[in-house]
Amino acid sequence: MKNTGRLLTVILIGYLVFIFIFIFTPIITSIIFSFNSDRFPTIPLGSFTLKWYELIYNDPDVWEAAKNSLIVSVSVGILSTIIGFCTAYTDFRYEFRFKNMYLALALLPPTVPLIILALAMLAWFSKIGVSGQLWTIVLAHTVLCAPFAMAVIRLRLQQMDADLESAAWNLGASEWLAMKEVVIPFALPSIVSAMCLTMAVSFDEFAVAWFVSGLNKTIPVMILEILQGNIDPQINAIGTFVFFTSMTLVIIAQLFFTFRSPKATL
Amino acid sequence: MGQTKDETRKNTGDMSQEPQIVFQNVVKYFGNTTAVEKMNLTVKKGEFIAIMGSSGCGKTTTLRMLAGMETPSEGEIRLNGQRINELKPSERNTPMVWQSLALFPFLNVIQNVEFGLKMRGIGTEERRRRSLEWLSRMAIEEFAERSIDQLSGGQRQRVALARALVTEPPVLLLDEPLSALDANLVVRMQGVLSRLQKELGITFVYVTHSQSEAFAMADRVVIMSKGVVEQVGSPQEVYRKPASRFVANFVGSNNILNGDVSAIDTSSVIIETEIGAVRANLPTDHEYSMGVHLGLVISADAMDLSMTEEQSKDNQFRCRLVSESFVGAMVTMLVETDSGIELKIQLFQKELDQIGFSENTSSSGTFLWVSWSKSSVYILPQ
Repeated sequence: MKNTGRLLTVILIGYLVFIFIFIFTPIITSIIFSFNSDRFPTIPLGSFTLKWYELIYNDPDVWEAAKNSLIVSVSVGILSTIIGFCTAYTDFRYEFRFKNMYLALALLPPTVPLIILALAMLAWFSKIGVSGQLWTIVLAHTVLCAPFAMAVIRLRLQQMDADLESAAWNLGASEWLAMKEVVIPFALPSIVSAMCLTMAVSFDEFAVAWFVSGLNKTIPVMILEILQGNIDPQINAIGTFVFFTSMTLVIIAQLFFTFRSPKATL
Repeated sequence: MGQTKDETRKNTGDMSQEPQIVFQNVVKYFGNTTAVEKMNLTVKKGEFIAIMGSSGCGKTTTLRMLAGMETPSEGEIRLNGQRINELKPSERNTPMVWQSLALFPFLNVIQNVEFGLKMRGIGTEERRRRSLEWLSRMAIEEFAERSIDQLSGGQRQRVALARALVTEPPVLLLDEPLSALDANLVVRMQGVLSRLQKELGITFVYVTHSQSEAFAMADRVVIMSKGVVEQVGSPQEVYRKPASRFVANFVGSNNILNGDVSAIDTSSVIIETEIGAVRANLPTDHEYSMGVHLGLVISADAMDLSMTEEQSKDNQFRCRLVSESFVGAMVTMLVETDSGIELKIQLFQKELDQIGFSENTSSSGTFLWVSWSKSSVYILPQ
């Protein structure tokens, strides 16, 4: 019994190590080659250089794409967190008929294959004559991201003592004040977490952005366009930048997500 | 019986002023279930009233209706003469101490206490001053800047009290506030609550399932069962003159017997019960006739004990000792009559010594004589 337990532990640890190797080796390789002077990614490496970073720093197209990505991801972060919070709060606060259906619908978008969602978005945006504008990417990404925000915030609200909000009303707070002074402060860690997470998802998202973006390229779209032309070590530099941005957001999201205010129980 | 007497006293004494809280024919349905049924209750200003009953009896719903967390389905609730049915919780000044305490975990102690004042738009400095006053009144000012999770159960209780009382409300609602504390602390907090209520002179409405808490603190208790008010009265009335069989059972330490009237003379009535004929005082306004079925209550502490049969007792039965238990100076005994019915007796240890009852002579199975006067037999209202 004890031996099988140990064996299982060894297997699981091995499994974990392999996962990390498969995930991180390509990324680390890409980071290493972004500092390599050779044009082609071959071993042995050439000398250390920052020239690829200088190149992208001086490329107005990269700046344009970065600006687009920033605008889109921040807008998406804010919008989908607001929508996610509202959905999570209705679930926490109200009981109504078809509530399960409501929740299922709210959580549906990520289950639709991205390519279908992207095509549908493109078709619809063209139909109403707004395709190719930056805010349409924001809209499409918000549809995709709001369910993530809702899931994160809902988990936090589930930890909230239902009496807490009633206690605020009882002490003279109107429903709005109770929301501002009690519900939002309580949910704040999850709100920050949801915002970072949705920003990260939007920042990395390629398929929908590629279909909908038109001339307003975001960074993932630009990367593909560079790749289609030639092999360019600039990609590694951009990739490194994207990787660290996303990782930072996801790590912040995770830190806030696991935050638990010590519950005031006796 | 206790109820009607109480009503008359209040009506004559308090005609000039409407009672602070009035429940008039209040009904509350949740779907198909009736949580509170036709409730009529008045509470005077400055009264400490306890609403008591087992879980699901409607006591918490009653309190929540008072706080505005639930709206009555029918009837009217008035506070200080004003109908409050439609008022939002935030528009009433009826702070509550919650069973879960519901302290805000993201605020520290003093911010919790300040909350009510902040919601009323009172300035930072005054808020702080008044909150500190209350913290020191509750003897927890040293914890002002602590977070809630750094406090003990008793300290949190005090924070919850300070938070509710800092706005100087006319009424304080308490929903089983002591149920999570250990026994020692419960007694201490009972003292704190009683003293506070007397000092402030405000109305306390206290919901509990604990008889000892209710009886220790309340001026009047309301006993509820399945949404119905069974009795309203002082602890003594409820204890000595239960209005119904339910109340008699609920307040415990009572012996309840049943039987039919077998004889009536000028001063007493004899009821043929399961243990034999029991003699009781004949109430002046009685309407008993032969053969009427009656319920009798004889409280455990009204019973006497002797080792031998004695003369001139109203009621005397031979019993066998079943068990005895000692709590402090009190002894609770279970005895069994010849007809196999168990009776509960409560006596002081001192009384036991006087009749020559000692550890040595008392093994279970020992024969004893249990007696009680006819005046201590209480006849349940039919």
